[in-house]
Amino acid sequence: MSSGRKCKNCGSADIEVDSARGDAVCTNCGSVLEDNIIVAEVQYEEGTHGTSTAIGQFVSADSKGGSTKFGASFHVGGGLESRELTLRKARNGISLIGNQLKLNQHCIDTACSFFKMALSRNLTRGRKNTHIHAACVYLSCRTEGTAHLLIDISDVLQICCYELGRTYLKLSQALCINVPSVDPCLYILRFASKLEFGTKTQQVTNTALRLVQRMKRDSIHSGRRPSGLCGAALLIASRLHEFNRSIGDIVKVVKVHESTMRKRLIEFGDTPSSALTLEEFMTVDLEEEQDPPSFKVARKKDKERLQKLMEEEADTFSDLQKQIECQLDQTKRRVGLPKSLRKLEESEVQKFIHESTMTAINQIIEECEDDPDYVHSGTKELGPNMESIGLPTSLQDTTNAPQTQENEMNIDLNFDDIDDEELDSYIMTEPEFEIKKNLWHEINAEYLQKQKEKEELLKKEKEEGKPEKKPRKRPTKRARIGPANSAGEAIEKIIQEKKISSKINYEVLKNLNTAITTNTNETVKVVDQASIEKPREDFILELVTKKASKSTKSKLKDVGLPFIESEQVKKEQDTKEQQESYVEQEDGEDYFEEDPDKHEEPIGEISVLQMLRQHHENEIGEDGYGYDENYEEDDY
Amino acid sequence: MDGPSKESDVNLKSILNSPVKYLSAPGPTPEKNPTTFNIPAIDLSCSKPNPSVITVIIPGVVSGEPHTNITLQNCVATVDLFTTLDLTLINARTRNTEYNPTRFHGVVMRIREPRATALIFKSGKIVCTGTRNEHDALLASKKFARIIQKLGFDIKFANFKIQNLVATCDLRFPIKLENLNHMHGQFSSYEPELFAGLVYRMIKPRIVLLIFVNGKIVFTGGKTRDEIKEALENIYPILRSFRKS
Repeated sequence: MSSGRKCKNCGSADIEVDSARGDAVCTNCGSVLEDNIIVAEVQYEEGTHGTSTAIGQFVSADSKGGSTKFGASFHVGGGLESRELTLRKARNGISLIGNQLKLNQHCIDTACSFFKMALSRNLTRGRKNTHIHAACVYLSCRTEGTAHLLIDISDVLQICCYELGRTYLKLSQALCINVPSVDPCLYILRFASKLEFGTKTQQVTNTALRLVQRMKRDSIHSGRRPSGLCGAALLIASRLHEFNRSIGDIVKVVKVHESTMRKRLIEFGDTPSSALTLEEFMTVDLEEEQDPPSFKVARKKDKERLQKLMEEEADTFSDLQKQIECQLDQTKRRVGLPKSLRKLEESEVQKFIHESTMTAINQIIEECEDDPDYVHSGTKELGPNMESIGLPTSLQDTTNAPQTQENEMNIDLNFDDIDDEELDSYIMTEPEFEIKKNLWHEINAEYLQKQKEKEELLKKEKEEGKPEKKPRKRPTKRARIGPANSAGEAIEKIIQEKKISSKINYEVLKNLNTAITTNTNETVKVVDQASIEKPREDFILELVTKKASKSTKSKLKDVGLPFIESEQVKKEQDTKEQQESYVEQEDGEDYFEEDPDKHEEPIGEISVLQMLRQHHENEIGEDGYGYDENYEEDDY
Repeated sequence: MDGPSKESDVNLKSILNSPVKYLSAPGPTPEKNPTTFNIPAIDLSCSKPNPSVITVIIPGVVSGEPHTNITLQNCVATVDLFTTLDLTLINARTRNTEYNPTRFHGVVMRIREPRATALIFKSGKIVCTGTRNEHDALLASKKFARIIQKLGFDIKFANFKIQNLVATCDLRFPIKLENLNHMHGQFSSYEPELFAGLVYRMIKPRIVLLIFVNGKIVFTGGKTRDEIKEALENIYPILRSFRKS
């Protein structure tokens, strides 16, 4: 092997490679670096009964090498590398779908490579495996132009078509794959073969294809599912060729609703091509292209609305006239009548105006069929209320900028501009309140009970001293780090940012200055007891990882806590001794100051060592995961 | 269009574009109507102004179509009351609320004028939705806040912010969606199997447009009118070039 290699464990370059035995050993620390050196030539060995077998093992094409057998699987218990495993699983999943859809191997391979791309960009995270696999398959179907619809795939996997569609869109967007738009012609042959046209299949297909082409030119296809279009074309084609296929037959094959099919047929009927005879249609290509049907409908609606609006306009004018007359009447009467009567009348008139406008508005709304939401804009309170509702001018400016000034004003204003009467109508009286409250409590009794139980459980846990469950960490990008106030802070930030090693418990590092000072003071007493406080445990763990030699490193993760505890005792004794000596030498205050330094030194060593370890682990590959996880579990 | 003369035709077209305008007009006291009253603050160049309509004059438009009206359809706003609320009390004391904690952790409160729905949370945050424009959103959220204040909570009214505007417009010409999708693949997605429209994600302004074959457009994700306007100004020449003639 190359002399430039370094030992994984001690970093020494003194590596002895014995090609006869096929291993590589570090002469410095004695660890066996490789026990199965790959050789270029094929060798055979003779078996017991004269059989000869090839020496060596098969390595798959997409294997990254290294970690296939025991020797290399130093960190992970299982044989395969995690990513390789994922890819293999994905390949299985994709081939499964592919086989069900009768895809060729090429498509499956394309799908697999799409999956690889997705995996390398972390697009698989947070999505179901089946969805990702299916999306990859569909992506390859689309790029290869096979006759498969999204619904076929979701049918095979029994998953929601739209959810799958979302995943597919996300993938194609993120991977920058410009997928060509679906061509409904692709599906004709597929559907035709299912309709049992016998020997005439080809002829029917050709007619149907021509029909679809025509529909495309008349833009019936845009914004519509290809299956519906194909269904309509096939129905016409089959009838033209004297097959008695009903809409129901076609619907079963193309999987759209009957009404959709009918709509497509009507839309085709509206185009001039539909007027041609079979012979004409097969030979003549009309130059003229039609507007999309939805566009035609929209224009038609426009026209109708215009007509109605013009009529309505006349109506509203007469209505307004009425109102004006009423108003005039009111003012006239106001002169002659006493105040009390006037008031009564006024309210009545108001009511009348209200009603008359309401009817007028409702009429218009009914006519303007497309926006039923406007109904409520007509139910406005009239007259004086309008004024009081009117917003102060400063409030008009509702730009997006944070309007602190204006908001403060709002507080001062105390909502003077808002009509309280209207709002009061929303607030209920005392008996009503009681009724609703009781009703609500009755309905939600179960929920309240559960909530209560939850709270009690939480309280109980708190009393027992159980740590609060930490929410699962999500891999988020940390915000960019701003300027630091002090040098210490800057260092902290750098550590945070660069994350020198994933093995370092940064929380503990942070606590060193504060927590340890207080804790160590206690430990002198605590040591005798079996129970150890949590932060200390973390701290000790750090020390242990440092202490653990290369050989025990793998052991550490397997053994887990018990191992640590045995080490802990030793360590505790150490610290005990240290502290005792401290206590002897100095009095309390000084010792508080000195202590942290004392403890920080070993930590520094650890991090450096771990840094190294991390470094060479990176060289090996990504095997670190298993170890990492175990480690974190130990922490808490 | 046939029938009326060209000038009135244009007028009527603009009327067609904004049904809302027509509905707010027949109020009995138009000069006191707050919606019409408040318009000057908003950037409107329409002759018959309505707070929910934005008129955009697009360069390169053929004669006879002087402008395109954008109609605001929905407006979502948030506001913070800076106090913790007792949701069960709010629910019990008011008749216009629903509170179903097993399904949703907030109180749903509705008012009729302006028609709006608010989600009121324990933290004192309110999400006001269902209004047609920014004024109504502010007015409605103030009303919601006032109702809560009337129930005896000590509230502030701060951080009022428009979170989302939904608007529509009609360009009145058909669009070739396939070609558009082909040319603008990095911004658009058009899957007729999933959705009839083309989804166009504009980067600047950051707005999502749903473009339909009949020339109708839905804008969403905008926080200001200007953003929506800008989006239309950006997309118009593109769509014009994909016009199906």
